[in-house]
Amino acid sequence: MTATIERGAPAGPTGPPARPRARRSPLQRREARFGLLFALPCFLLFLAFRFGPGLAGVALAFFHYEVGDTPRFTGLANLSRLLNDDLFWKALRVTVVYSVIAVPLSLVCSLAMALLVRKKFRTVTFFRSVFFLPVVTSLVLAATVFTWIFSSDGPWTRITGPVLGWLGGYDGSWLASSVWVLPAMALVSVWSRFGYGMLIILARLQDLPAELEEAALTDGASSWQRFRYIVLPQLKPALFFLAVIETTGSFQVFDLVYVMTGGGPAHGSYTLVFQLVDQGFKFFDLGYASAIGLALFVMTIVVAVIQRLTLGRES
Amino acid sequence: MTTSPAWRVLRGLLLCGAAVVTIFPFYAMVILSLKPAEAIRFPRSLLPGGLTTEAYHAVIGGQGLWGWVLNTLLYSVISVVAVLLLASMAGYAFAKKRFRGREAMFWSFLSMVMVPYHVTMIPTFILLSKAGGVDTYWGLILPTLANAQAVFLMRQFILNLPDELFEAARLDGCGEWRLFLTMVLPLCKPVLATLGTFVFLWHWNDFLWPLIVMQGREHWTLTVGIASLQQEQVPLNVVLAGSVVALVPIFCAYLVGQRYFTEGVTMSGIKG
Repeated sequence: MTATIERGAPAGPTGPPARPRARRSPLQRREARFGLLFALPCFLLFLAFRFGPGLAGVALAFFHYEVGDTPRFTGLANLSRLLNDDLFWKALRVTVVYSVIAVPLSLVCSLAMALLVRKKFRTVTFFRSVFFLPVVTSLVLAATVFTWIFSSDGPWTRITGPVLGWLGGYDGSWLASSVWVLPAMALVSVWSRFGYGMLIILARLQDLPAELEEAALTDGASSWQRFRYIVLPQLKPALFFLAVIETTGSFQVFDLVYVMTGGGPAHGSYTLVFQLVDQGFKFFDLGYASAIGLALFVMTIVVAVIQRLTLGRES
Repeated sequence: MTTSPAWRVLRGLLLCGAAVVTIFPFYAMVILSLKPAEAIRFPRSLLPGGLTTEAYHAVIGGQGLWGWVLNTLLYSVISVVAVLLLASMAGYAFAKKRFRGREAMFWSFLSMVMVPYHVTMIPTFILLSKAGGVDTYWGLILPTLANAQAVFLMRQFILNLPDELFEAARLDGCGEWRLFLTMVLPLCKPVLATLGTFVFLWHWNDFLWPLIVMQGREHWTLTVGIASLQQEQVPLNVVLAGSVVALVPIFCAYLVGQRYFTEGVTMSGIKG
């Protein structure tokens, strides 16, 4: 699950501060008892299935553990194997290239569509619901038809084939070409995600005060100038939020790869999570799979920090 | 601000173009599922002619589709009910109750937000396989109930409910459980509907976790089943017919409860 918090969530509990225990009345003790009782089921589930496994997942990266075997501490062996694993570097490159294509494209489409459906007009709700439709559609189901669209019998190949044949790196269809398979999958991901970004940006656009733009209009600012200098700066927090979750989401791409290419051709779409699942549930090397998970975790943090420093600086 | 006629025309064209691109895969999915297997070649295959329901007979007849539908429904509905109940209880406790360990609990929830799901997936699977949870419904459902976002969302909403209301009910002798069931839950109806649609959608579309946990064919969910059809070289029109069957419930739900879908997804994020 892509973990996100709703916008504007405070960083911690803002309820009344805890009072010293000694002065607690029976009523307060009862309240505390029920508070604990109400929070406990969720917290225990969380301990058992998120917090505990999270720590165990990091720890497991330092063990050799195969299904049915006893775990054996091997220190940095998994990590050094990772660094010498050509397939890991390939998967890392595939994941990064895929994200570099998919995320900016998705952000631009989201922004453009949000601007197009910003103002109210007669059929605006129709368009908004159409653009949101792919978001509620399962990627696995969408991928079944996109596999055809990108196949050698499909429309995409028939339309773009001649151009690509001339450009090179093309082999029958986009999904059969190790160069074009990632752009193809990125397009599917943009199709399935832009409606979500559109809605996030739209929510922000509708919160913007109209006065600034009206003032700029009276001052004779062109529509491009109004967008560039008034609207865009105010959209920064929303764009930052989107950039982070779209990037972490595309680092974790799996469904599309599994259904559309199975990691091929020639590992051309072999992503990190695909390798993780391969190692863990096909070769049953759970320690090594955890090391890949750890690498994914580190990447996620690095990207969040970089994006915080660049995009989020002024906000 | 006024909208110039030229911009209005341009906007209309752009929107229609984008709508066609967005709808096209759905159209192709439906029309190709109604074609004979050998006729699926662009461009003639997209014209509505020579339609047949043979793919639907194939997919509904022999592929265990109804079992997958049932599994998916169980997975989604039980999870929704359980997550809503657990998250509103915890959200109420975090928002309105003072008790020892509250901060620690809340921060442990927050700390896991940045950890990719795939890191926790492997140990969770090991835990389940030791406890005999592989290929069982409880093994599939129980780990997904630990939904930190749902707790945040409920807590956020309940924080804004007035304390005086609960004080008054308590003075009238209302017990904590009754207070929760007859006051907190009804007041939370809007956010519960929103959160419910999000959780439902997430579970209905979930793929990797059911793929790993449910290994026997009869235990598969729809997404796992359809993906396996694709892998097994089943004719494309049959795979697409299965996809259409799996999509119809979500589409109907979307048409009816569009507002909740959009709110749920924008508020809580969705699986990437």
